[in-house]
Parts: sequence; C-alpha cells; structure tokens
Amino acid sequence: MLVGQVLNGLVNGAMYSLVALGFTLIIGVLDKLNFTHPEIFMFGGFAGIISINYFPAPWGLVTSFVVGGILGLITEWIAFRRFKSPDSKITAALSSMALGLVFTDWVQKYWGTEPVSLPTLPSWMEQNVRIAEVEFPYLNFFILGVTCLLMITLHTLINKTRMGRQIRAVAESPMNASLLGIDVKKVSQVVFFISSGLAAEAGFLLSLRSASANSEIGLTFGLKALAIMAIGGLGDIRGAMLGGLLIGVMEALLFVFGWGRWVEMTVWVVVIITMVIKPSGLFSARLKTQEARA
Amino acid sequence: MIADHLFFAGINLLLAWSVYVVLLSGNLSFAQGAFMALGCYCAGVLTVKLGWTLLPSVLLAGSFSALIATIVGYPTLRLKGIYLILVTLGLTVCVRVLLENFKFIGGVGGFGGMKGADLTWVLMAVLIFGTLLYFFSRGPMQLVCDAVREDELVAASLGINVVATKLATFAVGAFIAGVAGALYGHYMNFVRPENFDVLLSIYVVLYVVLGGVNNMWGPVVGALIMTLLPEYIRILAEWRPSVFGLSILLILLLRPQGILRFRMSTQSSKELLRHG
Repeated sequence: MLVGQVLNGLVNGAMYSLVALGFTLIIGVLDKLNFTHPEIFMFGGFAGIISINYFPAPWGLVTSFVVGGILGLITEWIAFRRFKSPDSKITAALSSMALGLVFTDWVQKYWGTEPVSLPTLPSWMEQNVRIAEVEFPYLNFFILGVTCLLMITLHTLINKTRMGRQIRAVAESPMNASLLGIDVKKVSQVVFFISSGLAAEAGFLLSLRSASANSEIGLTFGLKALAIMAIGGLGDIRGAMLGGLLIGVMEALLFVFGWGRWVEMTVWVVVIITMVIKPSGLFSARLKTQEARA
Repeated sequence: MIADHLFFAGINLLLAWSVYVVLLSGNLSFAQGAFMALGCYCAGVLTVKLGWTLLPSVLLAGSFSALIATIVGYPTLRLKGIYLILVTLGLTVCVRVLLENFKFIGGVGGFGGMKGADLTWVLMAVLIFGTLLYFFSRGPMQLVCDAVREDELVAASLGINVVATKLATFAVGAFIAGVAGALYGHYMNFVRPENFDVLLSIYVVLYVVLGGVNNMWGPVVGALIMTLLPEYIRILAEWRPSVFGLSILLILLLRPQGILRFRMSTQSSKELLRHG
C-alpha cells in the first residue's frame, strides 16, 4: 500500500518537476516570471489529443513538445520581447498573465470547460504490473522513463554543449554575454522553446494518466509547480527536479495518513515559510550566482 | 438589474482601490481575494451566528482582515517583486483551503444566511473610501509612500519608517478588501470558498493595471469598464477574458515604461542623477 502510494507520488512529482523546470529555466536565465507557462502546460494535453487522433500515441510526445515550444516562442515574442530591463520584471509577469488569460479563453471556447477524454490508448499502456501487492500500470513507468530521459537530456544540454554554455553565460549577465558575441535574443528564444516544450510534455503525460485533457488545470496544477519552483530555489534546476519529486511523494503520503483535504494548501504553506526564512530556496547552487541576482 | 451591475461594479472598485493602496508603497498584492474572503466570512459569522447588526460587523470584518494582513505582512513585506507575488498568491490559496475545511462556516458547501446589504451600502463605502483616498493623496502621507516606493534606501535615510509604511498600506488595503467582502457576502446571501478563487485576485490586480496606477482614478476606470461594459455589450461578455487580456497586453506593450510608473517617474530621476 505504502510503496504503491509512494510510486504514485513519484509519478505525480515527475510531472510537477517538468513544469517547475520550465519556470526555473526562465527565471534562472532571464530573471522573468512566465505566467503563460501554466497555460502552455494545460495545452499540452490538447496538443496530445490532436496528435493521437492522427498518429500513433507515442508521437504525442514529440508533437506536444514542439507545439509547446512554438507557443513558448510566441509568448516570448508577445509578452517578453519588450520587457527586457531588470526594472520591468513585474510588467513582464503581468503581460504574460494577460496572455495566459487570452490563451485559456480560446482553448475553452474551442473545447469547452469540461475535461475532454482521450481517444483509446494502445493496450500496452493500459496493462498492469504487480509491485508490492499494488496494481501498477505500465503507463506510470512510461511517464517516469520519459521524465528521466528529458531531465538527463536537459542536464547534458545545459552543462555539456555549446548552447548550454551560452545559456549559462546569459544567465550570469546578459550584457557581458552579448559583449562576448553571444546572440542573447537567440538564447532566450531557445530557453523559452525548451521550457515551454517541457511544460507541454508534462501536460501530455498528465492527460495520458488521467485519460482526459482539462482546460482548468493551469491555475491549479500549474501554479503548484510555480510554488515548487520557489521552494527549490528560484532559478535552480536541481531544486526544481528534487522539489517536484519531494512534493509529489509528500502529497501521496498526506493522502495515506488521511490528511488529503490539506493537500492543496501544503505546498503554499511551505512556500511562504521558505520565502520568509530563506528566500533563496532550499538549494543555493543555480544557473546564476548569488551576487548577480542581488 | 442595473442595481445589480452597479453593486458589483462598486465591489470591484473597492477591491481595485485596495490593490492600489497596497501598490502605493510599491508592493503588488495578489492576496486581496483572500482578504475579501476573510472579511466576508467574518462579517457573516458575526451577523448570522452572533446576531450582530450589519454596520459594526462590516467594520469589525475589515479590521479582522487588516489584523491578519499585519500578522502575515510583518515577515513577508521584506520580500520584493517576484517573491512577494509568490507569497501573496500562496496566501490566497491557503485561505481558500482553510475556509473549505472549517465545518463551522459551512466548508466546501458554502455559508449562507447573510442579508441586509444593498446598493446604498456599497455606494456609501465607495464614497467614504474615495473621499479618504482623495484627501490622503493630497496630504503628506502620500509623499511618504512615494518615497518608500521609489527608493527604500533614500526613504529610510530621510527618517521614514519603511517597514511601518509598507505594513500600514498592506493593512489598509486588507481593510478595504475586507469591507468589500463583507458587503459582497451580505448582498449575495450565500457564498462559497470557491467564490474567492486565485483568479479573482489576479483579475483585481489586472483592473488596476488596465486603468493605470498613477492616481486613484486609474483603478476606478479599470474596474468600472471591466465590470459594466460586459453587462451591456454582449460580445464583450462572451469573450470577456480575451478582451480583458488583450487590452491589458496592448496597454502594457504601448506604454511599457508607463504602467508601473507613478507621478514621480524613476526614469527621469535616474537621468537627472546621471546628467546632473
């Protein structure tokens, strides 16, 4: 029972991590809060539905990533391109919030506010495996596997490639980076593409898991990921990964102990405590060094 | 019907002012929905469970919100920008979940039985707060707030108590939101915790952004336009979030520096420093 719940929590946490990673990438590199992010996460599920209707199910992974990424580029172009200066942090947050409103409204006009159920999945995803006396669908391992793969890829990309070096340079100081010949605009586009792609991917995985896409999860699940990002530390990739998994497991345990009603609140209480005691979050190593942010 | 619309316009106007007052000292609060909920439930308990009359319970509800704001605000107002947005968002979610879990005030099912508020009440509230704000904006306290908002360090070196100023504006904002919530509850007769969603707090902040934060009339314009127009123009009501979002985007894009700048613009003072 307990093991099963913990595994379930891990799967949930993996999706929290993916969304939180997107938030943290943009905060870490560009120092901006992207409030369109939760809505792109929400749209991932719908992109998956469209894709499953025409292609085999696993292709949904690619489609949702690409569609999410393109939406991220659009977000960057509309809501962030003009608000680059460090003074306009809040303006950028507000404009992305407005864009998120518009975006949700359009999705709800087309698909309605009710959850839209997914077409039938291939049978291997539905099959169960028994672990510790709990029926456990293969789908959950699929989700965990995809998440691990994405995280490893992201880690390699940031730490090992040329693009990753450029991203880290921009995170350190956009001005210095541009003096060194780095195309800051291109880097921020890449960052937006990756972060929104990850969010849409998480949205697709979540829709696989709940067998439906819901247009209202943006402000619940998505904002929770924002909170998790803050707990892990603004702009800290490791913090977002571990924070997501940790919160996922914690929520599952809360359900086990019969505290399920308080689940929605726990994360935010932790955020408030973290912000008051240690605003930099649980982890201090980040894309951007401490002094640069202050 | 028209009374209904005017009532909700008045409530939204009060909420917009409550955001504006907090913004006076440079803090953007996404917790006004939470303070509204606290005021609403507090006044409801006083009138329904304890049999108080409306006026004292509205005032006490406002004070209760202000008290909570002071307690919560003291440790959190040190934070700035993105950090404060996170904390206030968290506050809104927390208050909603708390309300959902107290059987005493109805829990998820909602809380009912309040009555007595009508359009006159909300107009009176708007009038009183409007007058107070008007005289405030011409008095010395406005200058203190301006100083704190534009540069905390300078304000502190001038002998202004920065923390107290921020706390005071936060508490006053919560008071206004609490009063608005109390009136809202006693007009609707029945409220649920989900009436005070995160989305409400977001909307209220965006009213202020839409109208402009330069003076107390900005929130008035924003709240009235966004509440009254959709009631009379059908297409606006159907596409409300889109129209709202797009107009805010337009305003922010056309005046990227202008929106969060007040009467004393930081830009020009910075240039003064640079050249002079």
